[in-house]
Amino acid sequence: MKVAFPYMGTTVIYKKLLELLGHEVIEPPEPTQRTIDLGVKYSPEFACFPLKVVLGSYIEAVEMGAETIVTSGGHGPCRAGFYGETHKKILKNLGYDVDIIVFDAYKRDKMGTIKRVLKVKNGKSWITVWKAINVVYAMAKALDRIEKRIEKMRAYEVHKGECTKAWKTIKEWFDHDVKTIKDVEMTEMKSHKLLDEIKLVEVPEEEKIRIGIVGEIYVVMEQSINLRIEETLGNLGAEVERSQYLSEWIDYNIMPGAARKEHELYILKKGEKYIEEIIGGHAKQTVGHIVDYAERGFDGVIHLMPFACLPELVSQSIIPTIGKEHNIPVLTLSIDEQTGTANTLTRLEAFIDLIRNNKRTKTA
Amino acid sequence: MKVGIPRALLFYYYYPLWKTFFEELGCEVVTSGNTTKELIDKGIKASVPEICVPIKILNGHVLELLDSGVDYVFIPRMMSIRKGEFFCPKFMGLPDMVRHSLPGAQGKVLYPKISSLSDDISDDALYLELGEALGVSHKQIKEALKEGREVWKKFRNKSKEGHTIAEAMDYVMTGKEPEKQEDCTITIGLMGYVYDVYDEFVSMGIVDKLKDMGVRVLTFEMMDEEMLDRELDFMKKRLFWTFSNKLLAAGYKFLKDKNIDGVIHVTAFGCGPDSLIGKLMEIDSIEYGKPFMTIRVDEHTGENHLLTRIEAFVDMIQRKKVKSLKEAE
Ligand code: SF4
Ligand code: SF4
Repeated sequence: MKVAFPYMGTTVIYKKLLELLGHEVIEPPEPTQRTIDLGVKYSPEFACFPLKVVLGSYIEAVEMGAETIVTSGGHGPCRAGFYGETHKKILKNLGYDVDIIVFDAYKRDKMGTIKRVLKVKNGKSWITVWKAINVVYAMAKALDRIEKRIEKMRAYEVHKGECTKAWKTIKEWFDHDVKTIKDVEMTEMKSHKLLDEIKLVEVPEEEKIRIGIVGEIYVVMEQSINLRIEETLGNLGAEVERSQYLSEWIDYNIMPGAARKEHELYILKKGEKYIEEIIGGHAKQTVGHIVDYAERGFDGVIHLMPFACLPELVSQSIIPTIGKEHNIPVLTLSIDEQTGTANTLTRLEAFIDLIRNNKRTKTA
Repeated sequence: MKVGIPRALLFYYYYPLWKTFFEELGCEVVTSGNTTKELIDKGIKASVPEICVPIKILNGHVLELLDSGVDYVFIPRMMSIRKGEFFCPKFMGLPDMVRHSLPGAQGKVLYPKISSLSDDISDDALYLELGEALGVSHKQIKEALKEGREVWKKFRNKSKEGHTIAEAMDYVMTGKEPEKQEDCTITIGLMGYVYDVYDEFVSMGIVDKLKDMGVRVLTFEMMDEEMLDRELDFMKKRLFWTFSNKLLAAGYKFLKDKNIDGVIHVTAFGCGPDSLIGKLMEIDSIEYGKPFMTIRVDEHTGENHLLTRIEAFVDMIQRKKVKSLKEAE
């Protein structure tokens, strides 16, 4: 069975899981203009931008021979919950013979979930499955640690592009060299060594600029459609931290145990004053993260949302107040197939300039 | 104490309940006026550009109420009125949006959390938290809601006799019996949220316009809730949003019902759920061979243009009808 998955963020992680379960994995290419065009062409207009891109990515995976696609369903009350079905219909109408296994929230459909797990489990013993999950979880954690380091370093690299190049190499290492937890540890060490070698400019602490990135999960995590926001900001001399990392998503949504949910609950609590209930998507997390970044002394926040995203429009409406009350500048960028690079880049530059000037006047 | 209820969103579905409730508790109930161009403009200025027109309108109404010096504005947090379903995220976050984005709203919003199993949202548990702000007891709230429930049921029943919201509202407020509509040769199913169809500014009085053309109009709120609910049994997964499901169910009923000659979908610019429903209808109406038209209203749609389109649509149906009658002879 040739299996693929939707493209989002650090995809080596999903790939590894499926490989360890003995599947032949088809890795869809990172989304390009063609992916977006395909997705836009075959999605109904009502689909939100992330789901258009994912559809495009599915089509490319099927073209490469994928027979089954494993994905997770939508979380929270929003349109996303409807997409699995919509995607199935569209692919079928296009004449593609492909099975989509959607993992919905376990609580909603217990029997269904178990059936789907058995399908993906691929006849492996539960011990193998357990081991695979542990390796992949450790790998997700390690990769996130490395990425977080890179997101800080990039602002100061002497030769532009070195960090991004190293990150690519590191992901390849994890892809090829990791089978056990031990491998994860070794590869992580090796990765940090690689990063140690990158030459950095010394910047005094008070001149450092730190930017948080918040918003809807797909546009926050998938660099190919969000103007490579982390690289772009890094090149403008800003350290970056995202509100979402895959390992944290796993902690909150999949791993059992209350302790692992703590961080997310902490963030939700921070957002309580502004959005009291979970209203779908990541709106409440978005406002929570902004407050958190402000309290941690970040200099600014970029809020990313898919165009016309229902819950994020609620957070967008409230953001000016949060910005004022917490004295932190926030820039909202709404992302769709028309997000023009040039115009948006100018806005980002202006945003960072503003922050830098503010800082100078403050220290002066 | 003056409580303002904005003439927007679910005002058109629950006003009789809420008005009675607050008045029974001894409050003075103030509503905002009809939607006007100035009011919308104010709302637009206070809203983020991408948000849907009905929310911009709501913002305009809330600002008007705040200006008029009410003590509180009532903006309940509508979460759910059916198991496993929710309201559009903008409803669920509405009080948050208003409190934190409209000047002068902080501290003046009453926003009980409404989460119930059916359209009847008069359970006292939902409103208890208002006791403190209004200075009333649990018992008073319970009794006021009992009155409210009765008026609301009367209102709903009047709707279900086939009358418009405006007529049903008039009936429970003033006792005026709606006029009977006679001699209709054509029936049109009108899909649209109550706040789009019955806001004269949004729909430009489409219901009356159709009636004036001798068309009988049917809308989702005139139909039995349980019957509507069953309409969607065929769907593997219902939408997440209850009112969107109601529209969709009514839409499918319209497509199947031989007595309905055509379907019009009224939608306001920027509605995510509607774009989904509209697409489903567009595809399925072809399958059923039923005339279907979408009217999308934005902040600037001109009235003339709308009238022309409606007239053309009704004409087309009429001709089709005459033709099939002739063929049958
Ligand atoms: S959260 Fe936003 S992007 Fe996701 S399904 Fe909802 S509206 Fe679409
Ligand atoms: S259902 Fe549509 S029109 Fe109503 S609040 Fe939501 S997006 Fe706006």
